[in-house]
Amino acid sequence: MNEARPRLAPASYDAVVIGAGLAGLTAALRLAEEGQRVAVLAKGVGATHLAPATIDVLGYDDGPVDSPARALPEFANANPQHPYRRLSINLIRASLDWFKSRLCDHGYRGGLDQNFLVPTAVGVAKPTALVPETMAAADLRQGGRFLFVGFRGLKDFFPAYLADNLARAPLPGGASVTTRVAELSPPLGLARDVSAAGFARRFEQADFRESVLVELGRHLMPGEIVGFPAVLGLDRAREVWQELEIRLGHPVFEVPTLPPSVPGLRLYETMTGALRREGARLVVGTTVAGAEGSGNRLEGVVAHNAGRPLTYRANSFVLATGGFASGGLQLDSSGKVREPVFDLPVAGLPGPDEPRFEQGYFDEHAISRAGVAVDASSRPIDSEGAPVYENLHAVGATLGGAVPWREASGNGLSLASGYAAASAILEVTS
Amino acid sequence: MPTLETEVLVIGGGSTGAGVARDAAMRGFATALVERGDLATGTTGRFHGLLHSGGRYAVKDPVAARECVVENEILRRTAADCIEDTGGLFVSTQWDDPGFGDEFLKGCRATGVPVEEVSVAETLRQEPRLDPGISRAFAVPDASLDPWKLVSACTRSATEHGARILPYHRVLDLDLRDGKVVGARVNNEQNGEELQIRAEVVINASGAWAGQIASLAGCLVAVLPGKGIMIAMNHRLVNTVVNRCKPPSDGDIIVPIRTVSVIGTTDTRVADPDELEVTQAEIDEMLDEGEKLVPGFRKARALRVWAGARPLYTPDEVADTRDVSRTHTVLDHAKRDGVGGFITITGGKTTTYRLMAEHAVDAACEKLGVDRPCTTHEEPLPGSEDERFYWLGARVRAQEPVPGSEEIICECELITRRGLIEAIARRRPTGLDDVRRRVRLAMGPCQGGFCIYRATGILHAFEHLDHQAANAALVDFLQERWKGVQPILYGDQLRQARLDDWIFQGLLAVGHLPE
Amino acid sequence: MTELVRDSLDHCVKCTICESFCPYSQATPLFPGPKYVGPQAERFRRTGISPDISVDYCSGCGICTQVCPHGVKIAEINSQARAQLWEERGIPLRNQLIARPSVLGRLGTPVAPLANWTLRNRVLRRLGERLLGIHRDASLPRFAGRTFQRWARKHVSPAAERTVVYFHACGTNYYEPAVGRMTVEVLEHNGFHVVVPPQDCCGLPLQSNGNFPAARAYVRRLAANLAPYAREGCAIVSNSTSCGLMLKREAREILEVEDEDVVVVSDAMYDLCEFLLMLHECGELRTDFAPLELTVPYHAPCQQQGHGIGKPALDLFALVPGLRAIELDADCCGIAGTYGLKKEKYEISMTVGERLFGQLRASNGDLAACDSETCRWQIEHGADIHAVHPVELLHRAYGLGAAA
Repeated sequence: MNEARPRLAPASYDAVVIGAGLAGLTAALRLAEEGQRVAVLAKGVGATHLAPATIDVLGYDDGPVDSPARALPEFANANPQHPYRRLSINLIRASLDWFKSRLCDHGYRGGLDQNFLVPTAVGVAKPTALVPETMAAADLRQGGRFLFVGFRGLKDFFPAYLADNLARAPLPGGASVTTRVAELSPPLGLARDVSAAGFARRFEQADFRESVLVELGRHLMPGEIVGFPAVLGLDRAREVWQELEIRLGHPVFEVPTLPPSVPGLRLYETMTGALRREGARLVVGTTVAGAEGSGNRLEGVVAHNAGRPLTYRANSFVLATGGFASGGLQLDSSGKVREPVFDLPVAGLPGPDEPRFEQGYFDEHAISRAGVAVDASSRPIDSEGAPVYENLHAVGATLGGAVPWREASGNGLSLASGYAAASAILEVTS
Repeated sequence: MPTLETEVLVIGGGSTGAGVARDAAMRGFATALVERGDLATGTTGRFHGLLHSGGRYAVKDPVAARECVVENEILRRTAADCIEDTGGLFVSTQWDDPGFGDEFLKGCRATGVPVEEVSVAETLRQEPRLDPGISRAFAVPDASLDPWKLVSACTRSATEHGARILPYHRVLDLDLRDGKVVGARVNNEQNGEELQIRAEVVINASGAWAGQIASLAGCLVAVLPGKGIMIAMNHRLVNTVVNRCKPPSDGDIIVPIRTVSVIGTTDTRVADPDELEVTQAEIDEMLDEGEKLVPGFRKARALRVWAGARPLYTPDEVADTRDVSRTHTVLDHAKRDGVGGFITITGGKTTTYRLMAEHAVDAACEKLGVDRPCTTHEEPLPGSEDERFYWLGARVRAQEPVPGSEEIICECELITRRGLIEAIARRRPTGLDDVRRRVRLAMGPCQGGFCIYRATGILHAFEHLDHQAANAALVDFLQERWKGVQPILYGDQLRQARLDDWIFQGLLAVGHLPE
Repeated sequence: MTELVRDSLDHCVKCTICESFCPYSQATPLFPGPKYVGPQAERFRRTGISPDISVDYCSGCGICTQVCPHGVKIAEINSQARAQLWEERGIPLRNQLIARPSVLGRLGTPVAPLANWTLRNRVLRRLGERLLGIHRDASLPRFAGRTFQRWARKHVSPAAERTVVYFHACGTNYYEPAVGRMTVEVLEHNGFHVVVPPQDCCGLPLQSNGNFPAARAYVRRLAANLAPYAREGCAIVSNSTSCGLMLKREAREILEVEDEDVVVVSDAMYDLCEFLLMLHECGELRTDFAPLELTVPYHAPCQQQGHGIGKPALDLFALVPGLRAIELDADCCGIAGTYGLKKEKYEISMTVGERLFGQLRASNGDLAACDSETCRWQIEHGADIHAVHPVELLHRAYGLGAAA
């Protein structure tokens, strides 16, 4: 008997994207819609399921930001290591426009010129650039009379606490907000502890909506804008939201709350569905743990799955594995920081004798800005500024120089950087 | 100023103080206890969680070993609900002299510590994470002891016998009249009101702070705070208490307690029990020692690190605080310092708290000229009447067979909404940290990432808090959790902390709450 | 040192992604979800007394492990916890029976017509539900009467330059020998000499029912039969995607069997579509497919996705002119091996599968394709559409003759 196993001739693509968060999916979708054969390899489902699905471009820069378009140039100058220094305003704008049109079924509104102010689940008025239509009525900038709805059985939303804080939120131009609360007891059957996703599925059933509408109708006062937790349906969110508005006769919006993020789930389903329709291959549950290359050109990545490693070859590669939260950057017990897929150099690290973290929880911690540094084409660079691989690009939270959870810039960065990497790849291959 | 009249005033709300209050109340004394913070926030709330079999002291401190043997048996009978019967092992690792095992056996037998040598194969089967290179193993009746349950049960028992338990009451001054302590002036930290307490006897059970309290009566008690750090690992790497079979030193015990395993500890003399810094060197030492017992320890997930201060009392100076006897001392200040009505109980360890309390209350009886026998060695604590040990699976079993039938607020530690509200109702908490000690809120892997928001919302509603108080509760608790996480943040726990940052600072934007 | 399954719980950051995807916790309050039962409850478990029966409502579909972005081996933790539970309680007779398909197969084959009649008799099925706990409506396959092994023993595979070993598994052997024949013919068509060694069950149903010692015995025996070929460099292919996964990964991870035979077999193991697609990517697959004008909705079984290789069946279908394959995006058909047969779990299983059944009906397909036999039986039961293994369509397109 002879050697009968097929030589492991690896699968071959135009582009391989590692990571299925917003940055990775953006890069993949842009490449796929321009005709590239794309594979997305992901260890699991990305962080879209955890984040609110608003697009925060720049929310805070020593105080709330009114207009990202106006604030960005100064912000970029003051933070030369920040990705926004490299990602021009025009590019960010283009990425937002692309996103809005790609996700037209979600009805995203807004732009770079003026941030919305929307309530968080504890009642902070938070700036954000794009909101889906289901959140648009939450806009606090003109003030208004708000009724926040809570559900017995949903432990991830506390409208009374939200309302208490929101009524005192400082708003621009002297706008003011009054708040009321309604706690509903919808029919949950035997279940007592239902997640946001569980509620969202129930909202897609007509009789459940009916009972909510009936109960809520008794609480409403004229002129009120109604705020629900973000549970207004999954695939059919538009339908659910529109029906609520029509039947109640009041504007309706959702407030994002603890994971699972229902709007994030919607975003993921829409983007992966679009990827599938464009013919891309999405492999979830495979870990990329090595590379094959010659010189400074990457030729393939080695993915682990059940049984044996599999090599995926491509012309271009995008690293979208996220930051410390998703394991795209790792810190071990002896203080060493690593990028685990390609062992790329990590920039922005504190010195060996500097503390990585401050004692105050809210202080800015030295290690927060650590990440991969890239050139103008989004390619990771070494200490001399030369690209490590000529055909590898890095996007999203893997990038150093930003503290997105403090700046409220997470999704904006992911979107813009994913878009930019795809543009760079398309330029080279055209 | 309002006055509280009592017979016995106990200063200190750790295991010793709570034990003294219980014993005194059970013997029929009108009793009051004051503690400057929440109960068990001193050494007791920061200890390793070990109910000693005595094995650790069998060779070097036979007196302490014998005490442990007796008290271990008593507590198993009377405080079963606070104890998980994990059993204990002393193992000779590759770095230990197997010959010490013989000394160990001899010492145990001489002091009455139940001991049995067990096969390495059987030990590794029972504890698959232990280093396969161990050469010997000995089984002893170590167990793990929950300090908050213990203190809670003692104070409940004391209250049932008429005692007044006053947490958040800080002693400002001891009142002396004609060379006798007649009471104390205390401050209610929750509302700023002062209270005068009159007592026949004041028992200073303030542990590592005993010297500070004694000095208020002009007595010099040289208590050496011996700082030790401990690290809680995310899950039980071992299910038995594992000790190194060698002369006692740093980092040689891993205790499985509730859902975590704790490695400890170090020993550094410090000046102030309120200034306990955790250093990177100490952390590295613990991780390295852990790696010797459990290969892969450094890759395992560390939850948090903290330091406690042992109350070490010795009349003479010593070089290594570990050589100070770990038995306790009762000081009658009338005999010693000419100050009447004042007793200090110091030294000791949580395992022998009951004996310490017995001796302290015996001394008080002597002072008061009465003869009332102690019964705490027979009376079970509230909750331990059925002599059933705490069982690790209890909280999971409590949610069966339909786990979705109750709202679970803290998922890591399986705390229901009902349980949380009960804990809030029973003691008006100053913040969420108090609640944590009652029910283990935010003590699991996510360190509050998911439950702090929920608990704040519930507290806000149940206690009718205004937004400021609720916001303060949330922010303070975040800071409190951060304090123990920050020094040892790497690997999986860093992932968690970053996710938690996204939730609190990103999604909720708690950094921008209104004033 | 490979990480123990249990220790992977350290990676859990409670993100709830697994729970969002678990179809079973959505279908019943008796299963609180993978995060709860897996990494969360595991911190409360130690050997001795299992605290939770709700772990038994985990189906073992493995979707949670696939979607977890942090590397927690959730389904595997559940599997081990379930085994511990049943070791303490004693495995009920029903679970012992249905977990041994090769034993049932050997009993039923000689009396196939009678056995088939019995299993379809409504009165006897009601009795079976009461006595054994197998739901009266659960779909049970038909004994074929003549096993695949019997055909294989008589079949002479033409000599060829390359040899491949065929692991057909119990389903093919006792219930669908025609699928086995088609598999062999497709492989021979592509220039392989096909060897069918003596073989028995891989132990997967025993594992999923918590009987680890028996499962280990079965998988070791099977590996002993297959290992010599693997050592000589042959690939081992299986059309039963779940049994293939058992040999590739689950026996090693969940049962913690690291015997040399098992390791060498696991390295040589390929899912049939995986193997054919790899041939194609080397330019070695014959593509002389005649057009098949069919609309075929395709469901990738959970266990197929567990291989982590994408959906090779779809890429193979793309090579057949006229074949319009529709990729369905429902998660799970609900059968989960033997789970959906059980009285207390049948309704849950059908609720879980409803999303897939709905998509199948809506697709207006001519027939459905799916790589797992138990899933195909569930699909036929729930959606009333004929379901085939992808190899059947390739066989047809190659023109290798009508199905027997």
